[in-house]
Amino acid sequence: MSRFSKSILLVALCGASVAASAFDTYGIGRQATPAEVKAWDIDVRADFKGLPKGSGTVQKGNDLFEEKCASCHGSFGESNEVFTPLVGGTTKDDIKNGRVGGFVSGDIPQRTTFTKVATISTVWDYIYRAMPWTAPKSLKPDDVYAILAYFLNLAEIVPEDFTLSDQNIAEVQKKMPNRYGMSTDHGMWPGAPAKKGGIGNGGKPDVKNVACMKNCKTEVQIGSTLPDYARTAHGELADQYRSFGPVRGTRTLDGSAAAAAPAVSPEMELATKSGCMACHGVNNKIVGPGYNEVVARYKDQADAESRLVAKVKAGGQGVWGAVPMPPNGHLADADIKKLVHWIFSGAK
Amino acid sequence: MATKPMRIRAAAKDGVTEVKALIAHEMETGQRKDANGAVIPAWFITELSVSHNGKVVLASEFGTAVSKNPYLAFKFKGGATGDKVAVSWKDNKGESRTDEVAIG
Repeated sequence: MSRFSKSILLVALCGASVAASAFDTYGIGRQATPAEVKAWDIDVRADFKGLPKGSGTVQKGNDLFEEKCASCHGSFGESNEVFTPLVGGTTKDDIKNGRVGGFVSGDIPQRTTFTKVATISTVWDYIYRAMPWTAPKSLKPDDVYAILAYFLNLAEIVPEDFTLSDQNIAEVQKKMPNRYGMSTDHGMWPGAPAKKGGIGNGGKPDVKNVACMKNCKTEVQIGSTLPDYARTAHGELADQYRSFGPVRGTRTLDGSAAAAAPAVSPEMELATKSGCMACHGVNNKIVGPGYNEVVARYKDQADAESRLVAKVKAGGQGVWGAVPMPPNGHLADADIKKLVHWIFSGAK
Repeated sequence: MATKPMRIRAAAKDGVTEVKALIAHEMETGQRKDANGAVIPAWFITELSVSHNGKVVLASEFGTAVSKNPYLAFKFKGGATGDKVAVSWKDNKGESRTDEVAIG
């Protein structure tokens, strides 16, 4: 055996031992099983790698959309009440040019999903991963194809009798109204340019923060705050932000800049985890009624708790307006009871 | 210019039919000016009616205050699966359009 091949063998052995001991090094964790990786690895790339096989018609998508999506997005994807519209603002010329003209001239009245998105794979991935809001990942690939076919028909990209499938989705990509609207020519895509094998353009981000590795500051120093005279200029900022999601407005009217965040109760965590807080606020209406409104309506009725438990489980519509509450059969009965009791005791 | 089809959906539930329609129309008010300063001529729907199996259930007069591509939703008593609901409009240029769907 020549010296050359010996060193190759050595490198190969080293590689194998590193892979085997990665989880032993720190004594925690275990190798993910292939089934776990498969369940987690659901992304669909722009080149359609990862796209499951399947197909769906516009008509089926119409029915599914009406059943599962229309309560928030409107029957034609036009609703601007809960989210910005899905469809609209694109023209035949946009489909031909691959760039939404309203962005170029600057006179687009309202951004919609189809004016912005450049790759249809993104929409497929998003619906499959995150929709419906209250039951993500509940749609089958065929359902996603059907709903996407319905969108494409609404956006006048495909005809009414169209069947979208993994076979023809690449053809549809060539008709996306904003397919040339995405740029990587900015610093948000760092790394080598595509011709050198990277995903970026070599551009530099416009911030130059350096991770501190030694002699770091031990305390956070707030560099700037709203000046006192300006704090109340827009009223209570905390009430003007969405009550869900990561960003909160600061309390501006009570005078103290750093009102301590209230401790989160286990019931609140359960409600957040179960998706309740997406549509209900504690003290405010979001899509459904706020818990304070629910309590105000039912507090004098003796059997209200048990009735509401049934209602949370089965879903309902009409009591608080036209927007339906989806059924919540996936929650354990004990959890629903706990949540309803929590709501009646003030949702603290 | 050829008119574009409306999107209509009608669903009957408990003896009440809910009709939703998305109407494709420019709805130009006649008050706007283009880049050269010339007034863009008014072009809007003046009348819109909805009929159920030929009987008018909604008649309305539209004007320039209504947005581009208007969305219309209303309910009427009666209607059963399979019945025809037709939406038709006329605009100030004399164009008109009627689209029909079956109640689902």
